[in-house]
Parts: sequence; structure tokens; C-alpha cells
Amino acid sequence: MRSAVLSVLTLALVTACGPARRGPAFGTPREFNAQQQEGRVLFMRNCNPCHPGGAGGLGPSINNKPLPSVAMRTQIRRGVGAMPAFTDEMLSDAQVDAIVAFLNKMQEETK
Amino acid sequence: MRFLPLARLHLAACALLLLPGCFHLFAGGGGGSTEFRPPRRVNPEDVAVPEGYRVEVVATGFTYPTGVAFDGDGTPYVTESGYSYGESFTQSRLLRVEKDGSLKEVARGDHPPWTGVAWHQGAFYVAQGGEQGGGRIVRITPDGRTTPLASNLPSLGDHHTNGPAVGPDGALYFSVGTATNSGVVGPDNANMGWLQRNPAFHDLPCRDITLAGVNYPSDNPLAPNTGHVSTGAFVPFGTETTPGQVIRGAMPCSGAVFRLVPGSTDPELVAWGFRNPFGLAFAPNGRLYVTENGYDVRGSRPLFGVADYLWEVEQGAWYGFPDYAGGMPVDQEWFKVPGKKVPKRVLQTPPGKVPRPVALFGVHSSSNQFDFSRSPEFGHVGEAFVAQFGDQSPDSGETLAPVGFKVVRVDVSNGVIEDFVANKGKGSGGPATKLGKGGLERPIDARFDPSGKALYIVDFGVMLVKAKGVIQPFEKTGVLWRITRAAPEAKP
Repeated sequence: MRSAVLSVLTLALVTACGPARRGPAFGTPREFNAQQQEGRVLFMRNCNPCHPGGAGGLGPSINNKPLPSVAMRTQIRRGVGAMPAFTDEMLSDAQVDAIVAFLNKMQEETK
Repeated sequence: MRFLPLARLHLAACALLLLPGCFHLFAGGGGGSTEFRPPRRVNPEDVAVPEGYRVEVVATGFTYPTGVAFDGDGTPYVTESGYSYGESFTQSRLLRVEKDGSLKEVARGDHPPWTGVAWHQGAFYVAQGGEQGGGRIVRITPDGRTTPLASNLPSLGDHHTNGPAVGPDGALYFSVGTATNSGVVGPDNANMGWLQRNPAFHDLPCRDITLAGVNYPSDNPLAPNTGHVSTGAFVPFGTETTPGQVIRGAMPCSGAVFRLVPGSTDPELVAWGFRNPFGLAFAPNGRLYVTENGYDVRGSRPLFGVADYLWEVEQGAWYGFPDYAGGMPVDQEWFKVPGKKVPKRVLQTPPGKVPRPVALFGVHSSSNQFDFSRSPEFGHVGEAFVAQFGDQSPDSGETLAPVGFKVVRVDVSNGVIEDFVANKGKGSGGPATKLGKGGLERPIDARFDPSGKALYIVDFGVMLVKAKGVIQPFEKTGVLWRITRAAPEAKP
């Protein structure tokens, strides 16, 4: 049982930082609500260098990451692997929420 | 606590993934890590553009093309560099592109690599990079006569003399990149080839700076098997520095943007503290912007996770080289190579307050020359269209996936970046060679024609990166592409 749980956990982690996938180069022009648009701008300033456009680069792709919002918040706040942690001095909770809202929108786009 | 062997294996895997091992485990996805056998295939059908735009091939067969400009009639002219990383020296040339796609040589010369060209009041102005002979800005008339305007620019190293761009004041603006990755001459510069040619060359600050006295040990590629040497910042290879040591500012200097006013051969300093300010362009509002290629994971002072940047240039400002990246000091976890120590600053005190970048491009994207849309008929007026040469992983540092190899547009009001021209496909992207297709390889310049209705993309061609320090470019694989807005279909 423990082995099975560990296998699932390992697989999840491998998927999370494994080979990158991007969505179609161009979809329909996206519509963003105010929170998503704020998140989009914050994403560009804080996340885009390693995940350009949400796709893989220095880091893995995150526009297709099957993670619940709470897990994304945790990753942003605590960092993971080579990804640094974003402290509340860098990003407020509301700003992290905005980035998560934008990422969720990105995942809708690339399904 | 005791674990079964299988459980231990799983725990080890989890630990590996949660530590920097994750990056090391999956790195190796750079776009240049592939195979290529000439000739290059070219197919506009393999290139994606937004709905309502179309892609055409204008001309093929260039060797290391770098820039495009248009004469008074709107005819395109392309610079062939004459040099590529990988120590491939060819002939620097300025070529006219005829309507049928054939190429006619207008001028040839030395001081490679020729990195860009502009047209102004009946003549071409070319940035001669200066890997050999030092950088120059030259005037070339349509009949091929060449006149140097500025010479002996300190660009014998990693990065070159770039530009030029004509300002609203009629002056020529150009840039000179730094000699090194991050201020310290090291074995990576021997891999580049220039350290053997110019062993005393190093970065030159534009103003007096005071060093912290940080030195970096390395092998000595100039005298193999002789043990280690120690090198500080802003000094020749193998020279140590001391705390409080002052390095006098020089003009011209490294990592700076300059201006040449009409009639002058004496460059004026506009701004400094850039690493490699490769692209320069003026926005419709007359403000100067530059793209900067950020630090790599190489040499004696590697820095990790550094973006490429778009800056709005402020007269007299210092942009942070070599102790800041995008306005952030480098002595923090953010820029630490996984598994290594946090980098140290080499300056005792920063010579200024670093501005904030307008936009942050992908790490290792090599975001290069660019232009602003000015035509409502093309669309996106006021946005910057930036050619991304693409990563040179693993030489510049490992990546999990290809970065760049496309043209992006930037809303300079908020820093939002969107793809504009990219290769088709749902995978990780990358150059056409990696995808086995006939699309974009390595875009290096994006420039609107005088009408503003067509965006021309200079595609440098195939350049593979076989290993750290092993770069393999291919002659005659460069392409000139054109993007136009398709005419709306007539309604029945």
C-alpha cells in the first residue's frame, strides 16, 4: 500500500517537472476578466522567464499542469526544485491568487 | 524507521525531484541539440501566424544573415555577418534582394560580424561587430563606397557592436556588448575563440568603478597543464583584483549604448551597464528601447535563471552589469546555479540605481533585433515585434525545452508578451530542424518595411549546439521571410 502511494506521488512529481508541452501557437484571442488580466501582467513579470507564455523553457510547462489551485499557490510560495520561492514581500496573497486565476485560464485554452 | 527497498527507491526519487535534481534530470531540451543535413527545407506552411496574416519566403541561401533595411524605393537589403559562433569566419557583405529573390552584392568588408543595418537619407549605416579588428559604424552608399564613422570600438569578445538605429534627432544610436558573460574573463572565452586571439582583452566600464576584490579560480586554457589561475572582474585573464581597487572608466566602453550626432566621429555615451544590448529601436513616441541578452550559465562566474530583457533607455542610467539582472542583485538564491553557491557581487558599490525592465523574455531566448508597428493596416500599433534567435543550450545553460525560435510581440505599456510568428506544432516548439519541418530556424531581426504593412524576418539559418563550447553553424541556410496582413475576403 505504502509502495503504491509512493509510486503515485513519484509519478505526479515526474509529470509536474517532466518534459514540456505547449498549447497551439495561436488560438482565438483570449478574453480575460480583471483578476485574470492582473495575473497575466504579474505572470509576465515573475514567471514568464522560466515558463515563457506558460510553455516549457528553463522550467516545465505550466499551462497544462493538472494541479489544483492550492498546489499552485504552495509551489509559488515555497518554490520547488530549481524554482525559487516568492515571498509575500514579492507578491501579495491577492497577486498570487491573480496569477493562479490566469494559469487556470491558460489551462482552459490549451485543453 | 525502516523502509522496504522499493520504498527507499521511491523516496530517493521524490527527494531527487524536490531538490535541484529535478532540473538536472530533465534538462537537455535545447533547440539546437539536434542533427541537420543540408540543404535546408523551407516551407511557409509550417509557420503559424495569427488569423488574418500570411507568411511568405522572400529569399533563401544567405550565409549568417543578421539584419535588414530598406532603401528609398522599399527594396530590402540584408547584411551577411561574416562570422558565426563556432568560430566560422566567412565574408561580411551587404546584399540587395531583387524582386525575384536573387541576391546582388552591394558591398563587402572586414570587422565581422556585421550585426545590423539601417537606411537613412540615401545611405546605409552598418554595425561592424568587430570580433576581428574591433567594432565600427560605417556608412555605405548604394554604389558600395564605405566610410568609417566610428572605429576601435571594444568588441573583440563574446558580444559585439550592434545596431544601428536612427533616432528622431537624426543621430545614429548603436551599442557595444560586453567581452564576457558576467565581467570575468574565463575558460568559456577560450571556447568562444577570442581569448587566444586577444589574451589581454576584458570588459571596460564607462565610468570609474570600485571592485570588491572577488577573484575566480579557473583552468588556464592559454597554458594547459600549468595549474589554476585566478581572475577578477574588469581585468585581463589571470589578473587578480583587490578590495577597493578602482577601475578607471573608459570611452568607448563595454556594455553600453552610444549616439553619433550627424557629422561627428566621436560617440557620446547614452547609457551603460548592459550585458549585450543587441537590438535597438525607437517607438512611435520617439523613446529608445533596447533588448538585452541576459547572463548565461557558463564561465568562471555562471548565473542561473536570468531572463532576456526589454528596456526603455534613460539617458545616463546604469543598467546593472555585472551585479544586477533585470534590476535585481545577483547575490541571491534566484541566480544560484543548482548545486552551487550563491553568486557574489564584484562591485563594492553599485554606480547607480538600476531601472526596471519593460518586459522579461524567456531565459536563454536570445531576444534580439526588433521593430515597432506603426501601421493600423498591419495592426498592433505601438507594440514591439522581437526576433528570438533561440537558446544555445547547453552552451549557454541547460533548459527543459527549446526557448525562442520565433517572433513575439510586446505590449510595452504592461510587459505582456505574445507569440506572433512561431513554428506549427503542439510539442515543445523549437527550430525547424528539431521539428523536422520547413519553418523558422533562428530569427535574428524583425523589421517593418517603409509602408509599415509588411514585417520582414531575418532568419540566421541553422546553428546547432552539439555540446558545451561546441557550436556548429551551416552556411547558405539563412532565409528572409515576410509577414503581411491578408486582404479580407470579398463578401458575395
